[in-house]
Amino acid sequence: MENPLHPFELHPIWHLSLFGLDISLNKAVIMMWVVIALAAGLLIMAASSRRFVPTKLQSLAEILVEFIRGIILDTIGKEGMRFFPFVATLFVFILFCNLLGLIPGSYTVTSQIVVTAAFALFVYTMSLVVGFLFHGVKFLGILIPPGTPAWLLPLMMPVELISQLARPLSLAVRLFANMTAGHTVLAVLFGMVLSLPLVIGWLPFAFSVAINGLEVIIAFIQAYIFTILTCVYLGDAINLHGHEAQAH
Amino acid sequence: MPPSRDPFMAGLGQAVRIGTELLAALIVGGGLGWLADTYLFASGPWGVVAGLILGAIAGVLNAYRAAQRWTDGGSGAES
Repeated sequence: MENPLHPFELHPIWHLSLFGLDISLNKAVIMMWVVIALAAGLLIMAASSRRFVPTKLQSLAEILVEFIRGIILDTIGKEGMRFFPFVATLFVFILFCNLLGLIPGSYTVTSQIVVTAAFALFVYTMSLVVGFLFHGVKFLGILIPPGTPAWLLPLMMPVELISQLARPLSLAVRLFANMTAGHTVLAVLFGMVLSLPLVIGWLPFAFSVAINGLEVIIAFIQAYIFTILTCVYLGDAINLHGHEAQAH
Repeated sequence: MPPSRDPFMAGLGQAVRIGTELLAALIVGGGLGWLADTYLFASGPWGVVAGLILGAIAGVLNAYRAAQRWTDGGSGAES
């Protein structure tokens, strides 16, 4: 049977190098370009017809905007609307990567931990920068949960430090692991379909169809979680120990 | 209707979070302990032991905080 992890391997299609830096094109890079082109094209097309009674595409785009606006208002508050372009871009890119990866023969960019880790590190670094910009040195107080008795500080500071450092890791691993696991299961099932006789071979085929449906839901959910956690981290940095978001 | 308040999506989103939340803190704690052991103090296994314990605490704390968000805005909010 074929190695189920084979679909994740990347081989350079076109060797390129820039000042000794390897920038060879491979399937993942091309897939990312396709995702960007498709997402940008669809959204620009949706926004080009600004009708009062929206077209189908326009109402989809409006649902998307309302959805992301709801997430930001729920988790950060009004202050967070200035991050709307960033959060919306992140959500649309991850969602399109996840969904287009389900098309047979394409490639799931988010199944590469390099990609998800780059996103996660960028988001986390941004939340740190935003925190220090908003609160200055007082932002270090994020390591001290409010209402901690002084004798607990030696225990709470390392615990808080670890829980902060765990954020980018959990962000990166969650998306990567969900995508990789789903596609591996699909590959194993398809491998069974090919290697079993027809009498029993229809069973894994039926399963693979069902799991494909599940994968569509997971593609949405994972994009949603990545976005909402981005907002939560930004919100923690902006409303230090505050509860403005809940007051909304 | 903002779909982010759709209880199904929101609930599923919250549920999927918890598992990795526990694991990531444990890995970071153990990793920091190991780094301290190998490069800083040469303190035998004790850095990893302390790191894993702290990581477990941090993981449970993270999961607890993630779960606490469920009740925010709901009727049974306790602080």
